[in-house]
Formats: sequence, C-alpha cells, structure tokens
Amino acid sequence: MATSSLQTALLRNVKDVVIFLGIFGLLALGMLWVLDQQSYDWQWFRLWRYVYIEHDGQYYAGPLLRGLFTTLEISAYAIVISAIGGFVIAMMRASKLITARAIAKTYIEVVRNIPILVLLFLIYFVLAPVFGLNRFWAGVMTLAIYEAAFAAEIYRSGIEAVPRGQKEAAKSIGLRPLQVMFYVTLPQSLPFILPAMTNLMINLVKHSAIVSVIAIFDLTNEGRNVIAETFMVFEVWFAVAGIYLVVTTILSILASVIENRTKRFYAR
Amino acid sequence: MRFFKDLKAGDYVILAITAAFLGAVWYQLAFQINYNWDWSGIPSFFVYYDEETGYQQNVLLIGFFNLIRIAIYSSILSVILGLGLALMRVSDRRWMNWTARVLVEFVRNIPPLVFLFIFYFFVSDMIFPVLGIRAFAQMLANSDSAVVGFLFGDRVFVENLIAGVICLSLFEAAYVSEIFRAGIESVGKDQREGARSVGVTKYQEMRYIVLPQAFEKTVPPLVGQLITLIKDTSIMSVISIQEFTFAGSEMVVSSGRIFEVWITVAVVYFIICYALSVYSRRLEIGRTGR
Amino acid sequence: MNFFKKAALAVTAALSLSLASAPEAIAQDQSVLDRVVERGSLRVGVGSFVPWAFRSKSGDYIGYEVDVSTKLAEDMGVELELIPTAWDGIIPALLTDKFDLIIGGMTVTPARNLRINFTESYHSGLGQDVVANKELIAEGSTVEDLNNPGTVIGVRRGAVSVQAAQQFFPLATLRQYDDEAVIEQELMAGNVGMWVTSAPKPAFAADNNPDTLFRPFAEPLTLATVGMGIKKGDYDTLNFLNNWISTNQRSGFLQERSDYWYGSQEWRDQVPE
Repeated sequence: MATSSLQTALLRNVKDVVIFLGIFGLLALGMLWVLDQQSYDWQWFRLWRYVYIEHDGQYYAGPLLRGLFTTLEISAYAIVISAIGGFVIAMMRASKLITARAIAKTYIEVVRNIPILVLLFLIYFVLAPVFGLNRFWAGVMTLAIYEAAFAAEIYRSGIEAVPRGQKEAAKSIGLRPLQVMFYVTLPQSLPFILPAMTNLMINLVKHSAIVSVIAIFDLTNEGRNVIAETFMVFEVWFAVAGIYLVVTTILSILASVIENRTKRFYAR
Repeated sequence: MRFFKDLKAGDYVILAITAAFLGAVWYQLAFQINYNWDWSGIPSFFVYYDEETGYQQNVLLIGFFNLIRIAIYSSILSVILGLGLALMRVSDRRWMNWTARVLVEFVRNIPPLVFLFIFYFFVSDMIFPVLGIRAFAQMLANSDSAVVGFLFGDRVFVENLIAGVICLSLFEAAYVSEIFRAGIESVGKDQREGARSVGVTKYQEMRYIVLPQAFEKTVPPLVGQLITLIKDTSIMSVISIQEFTFAGSEMVVSSGRIFEVWITVAVVYFIICYALSVYSRRLEIGRTGR
Repeated sequence: MNFFKKAALAVTAALSLSLASAPEAIAQDQSVLDRVVERGSLRVGVGSFVPWAFRSKSGDYIGYEVDVSTKLAEDMGVELELIPTAWDGIIPALLTDKFDLIIGGMTVTPARNLRINFTESYHSGLGQDVVANKELIAEGSTVEDLNNPGTVIGVRRGAVSVQAAQQFFPLATLRQYDDEAVIEQELMAGNVGMWVTSAPKPAFAADNNPDTLFRPFAEPLTLATVGMGIKKGDYDTLNFLNNWISTNQRSGFLQERSDYWYGSQEWRDQVPE
C-alpha cells in the first residue's frame, strides 16, 4: 500500500520533482563550471585515504574519522557536564536564597552574551593554566560552560510549564519542597525538557567545531590539516560537512524517537 | 539594609564558597603563573594619541566599527533572505517548499565554522565575479569619499567586508526563516480561510493579513537572533574577516598581552549583547504586558 | 503568482545585467603584473608575526615583510594594500584571488610549490630554530637525546616548523597551534618543552626570558628558502619579482632591512605594550 501511494504521489508531483531536481542540478553544474574556470584540480579519489585506510585486511580510521571520534568524545563529555551543570544552575536560579539566584543569573547572562570563540580563548589562555586543564578539557569545559547556560534556561521553562496546581496539590498532601521537585515537577516537565535538550545536544556538536582553533584534533581541525597538506580544499570541506550532517541527522532521529517514547508514557 | 535581613544561613555559605573560589583564582592569575599583567596599553589599542596627528582610531576600535557594520548589514540582508526562504517554505508549490527545506536543513545542521569556510572560499569565488561584486568593491574602494569610508571602513577591506556580510547573511537567513515560518504558521488557519472566502488573493492574504500578524510575534525571537548574529561574527575571524575578534588576535600577536586583550574583547561583546537582551526583554514585557 | 512573476523577472534582470557588466571575471589569463598596474594597487597577503609583519603602537603594519612590500609597490608605481590573513588559510586565499602575492616570510616547500609558484629567496640566514624550557629540557641535550615521546614540541599549524620538528624529532609529541604567541605562553608555563619556529623568534624569546628559556642548539636546525608566493602560470610576474629581488639584494636594501628587523631590537619601542 505504501509503495503505490508513494508512486501516485510522485506522479502527481512530477512537475515539482523535476523543478526541484533541476534547481540543484543547475547549482551543481554551476559549481563545477566555476571551479573549472579556476582550473581546480579535483582529486576525489585521494579523499578516501583520509577517511579510512585498509591495510592487510584491517580497517584503520583515517584522519577524518579520527577527528570525528574526537568530536564525538568531546561532545559526549560536554553534554553530560552541561546537563548536570545546567540543572544545578537552574536549581540555584529557582532557589529562595538570594545569593544563589544572583550567581545563577550572572552566570547565565555572562555566558550567553559572549561569543563562544572568545569564551574558548578566555578559558584556554587565562583559566586553563590556573586549573591545570589540558587542551582537551579546556575545550570540553568551554562547551559545557557555554551550553549549561542554555540548559539552565531549558530546565527553567520546562519546570514552569508544569501546572501550578500540581505543585500545590503535592504540597497540600504534605510533601516537602525537595520531594515536590523530584517526584512531581521534574517527571512532568520531561516532555517539555527532552526535545529542547536534544536540540541542545545537536547545537553542542555543531559548536564543538570551534575547538579546532586551539589545536584539538576534532573533525574540523583534521579537515583543515588535510587541506593544509594536500590543498584538496573543496573535497575535504564537502566531506566534513557531510559527516556533520550525518551525525546531526542521527541525533535528530534519536531525538524524535525519545520524544515519541516519552509522549506516549505521559499520554494524557 | 533590608537586603541584609533577608540573608539566610545558606546565603552566607554560598557567599563564603564563592569568595574563596574567586579569591583562589585571582591569586593564581595574579601571582602564580608566569605572566606579567599590564593593562596600561589597552586603551591605546582602541584610540592612539600621537603628538603630531592627535587622536586616531587604532586596531581594536576599527575592528569594533567593522563589527557594527557587519552586524547591521547582515541583519538586514538575512532578514530579507530569511523572509524569502520562509515564504518559499510555506508555499503551496512543492518545489519551492522542498528546495527551501533542503537549504535550511543543510545550513542548520552543519557547524557555522564549516559553513563559513565552504562559502567563503567557494561562493566568494563563484558568485562574486559573476555578480560583479569584485568590480563593485573596486569601484567603492577607488572612490575616496568619506561616505564610503563610513559605510564600509578601510577601502582596502571593502571586498573582505562584503564577503563577510554575504556569508554571514546566508548562514543566519536559514535561522531567520525558521523564525518567520513559525510566525506565519502561528497565524490561525481561520484567518486565512476567512480571508480566502472573502475573495482575497494569495498575495494580498500574505501581505495584508498573515505577515503583519506574523511580524508581531517574531520581533523578540528576531532580537535574540540578532544577538546570535553578533556572536557569530566572531567566528569569521577564523577566515580572516577583519572584524573585532580578528583585531583582537592581531593585537595579541603584536603586543603579547594575551589575557588583557581577550578579557577586554569579551567585555565589549558582553556589553553589546547584554544591552540587546535587556531591550528584548523590555519588548516582551511591553507586548504581553506582563 | 503576480508577485512571484515580478520577483523572478527582477532577479533574472539583475543577474543578467551583472553578468554583462563583469567581463573581468572570466579573463583569468591576465598576469598579476598587468592586473596590479591596471588597478593601481598591489594587494599583498601577510600573516601576523613579530617581526615579519605586525601592528605597531599606532596600528600601522610594520616589519620586514612590510618594508619589502612597500618598496616593491613603490618601484611598481602603485599603492600598497596589506591584507592580514590567518596563516593556514593564506594559500587558499591566494588561489581565490583575495590578494595578488604572498609576502609573509613563507618558506618554500615542495608541497606548497605544487600549488603555487615561489620567487627566489628574499631572506637570508633564516631557518627553523628551537627554544626550550629550562625545567623540561636539560642543557647540552642533543637532537638524539630529545627524540622521544616524552618531549613535547609546540609548532604552528601549517607552518614549516611542523615538518622540521617531524624530521628532527620524529618520536616526539607534536602539538599544533594557530598562534605563535600561544606557544610562547605554553613554553613559559611548561606545557610544552620546546618551541620550533622560524629564527629569530627563538633567540628573541630566550633573550627576553633568560631565566626560563634557552636555545639548546647553537645553529638553526634548517636553513630556509623564503620566497614570495604567486599563483601558477604567471611567468611575467615571476620574472619581474625575481629580478626585483636580485636587484635589491645587490643594492644591499634587503640585507639592511634584514639586519634591522632580525639582527637588532631597535624597533622594540614601536611594539604595542
């Protein structure tokens, strides 16, 4: 059934499909033509060596794949730290203590209003020597600190989205504030928080490209190194962009799967 | 003094911890690491006083003005492009819908840095000569007028600035288009059906009914996007666009004052972005009255 | 429908107008020389390095490369436009015509030469040299002593120092940075043991920080050929530049400027504080 409806849909939209493919075809042709004018030396065949290497039947990751693993590694640490850190900040933000609120608000405002590159330079040059962070952890902490501010806002709106009645009902049956938070508010805020947090994850992976500037061998950095060695500028950049697209697409799919699961769990 | 009465035990604990932490950090920065702090030269990186020529702009100030220029031009251009993309996205013609969707998803799912690299070295070579932008920039550069200098900065870097503006606008347009799309789609279906039943054409419906209502909803997110845009200009330093962060790194290399320069740069960005976010919050309050 | 038709017509008209009025785009066979003279200005790509090219207190560009470029533009009868560019993007920038030449102290390597042409050397006596942290590297160490994974070497990404470090210390740990100033800080802080970079930076660093740093080897590791970079296929410009360089070698201009910038520190008072 699915196939035939797809076929009929396609036939109905033949004109649209043709125009759509035509546009991108023109774009591709245009790009090739311009690069020909520049007598650019396309060397696609050399690209594969940088993605993976085959040796004696064993597959080794080439520089680009190694870079991808580093990117994923940094992102994974940063996500965990920023999820926890963001939660702490959000709790401080909602706290009754004035100082806690003030610190949280200051943190959020400062981090959200400076560019991530400048934050990276500050952490790497100024703070890393103080805390003895090496390059890798300076990058992880920059990403974590930056995204934690956004995570805190996500937690906040998620919590505020839970109807007040729930909190009051919980208090009226004698639960203490902390119990209200953990057993009533948080679980119900999940359907609001989870989609936004997966969005944050995707943003974090995208922002991770910036750590290439401080010589961390992530995907972008390896891409730049390969270009500096071989001058295959466009092949490499397209490959790198493609890999990022694959990663973010996978994350988005994961996100919708999680979203559907939780929505079903909380179906009203 | 009412403030002090409200402080509870927990507050004092937090204050003590924070003070100890900040104190330790400051101590390390000031005394432990092998670095000679020297803020005295920083103001001169903005404005330099010479006995003969008087006050003149220096590297950081020039970079700052370029930041403002890029921010203003890019926001205008990205709003125009974003609106166009959004209209394509909500169009009933499927090829428009799909094309816009593919473009927006592509841009939104790759890192800004990668996008800028690709487009700066690729598009600037492809589109610029074809559209005669190089000739245009040359013409601007050759005209010695003060207006051009004001609008575009140092005539040597006119093409550089325009390239930066176009690259950034293309990137931000994808995000702006999503904001517009959300605004357009939020205008109730009944509005549009009501309009259609009265005999209004699609164009009129868009122009007189949907868009005005959509715009109202999009202003605060747009200001937020403007803040993001200003922050994204700093990434362009990696492709040697002569903006504020690039100026900062030049001064770091030339003077060796790594800490002072980067802290100053961060403070400047913070002031601009924070002011804008305060403004955005005022708008929000004004609009919803809360 | 109406609106879209009008918009489409407008865009097409604009595109065709600009296509018609931009013949220069396709004619890439013009030599750089002709293009420069026609335009009336010489656009030179430089990277920020002290003392090759860097900002003075008043924000002007100064340095050896700047002096060379200034004289070159003068002799060509055109204005000089310096385009500061991030170093590892400087060759792609040349290849996409962001400027006409690279005069930035770029060392000639076969890998680079495959993509761009170089003039003959306009620098003398420079090469890759080393400065080390006294706490991490013992004085009197030889190259063999230091060739082990325990030695951490800082180099600038995309620079010749990378190959030099790999050639002399293949087993050492290499860290690539975007900025030389960072490497100096790292060296001072003890995060890297040695900094391999172009002379005379190691000598300057060691002179400025005699307590922490020293030069482990009396002679530079390599002797460099530094040429101006131009796009391939442009014989006329290459000929012009090579002759300009030999004339100015013979007249002593290049040597005098080199002695000033690399041999003395008289220009230190122009460095921003």
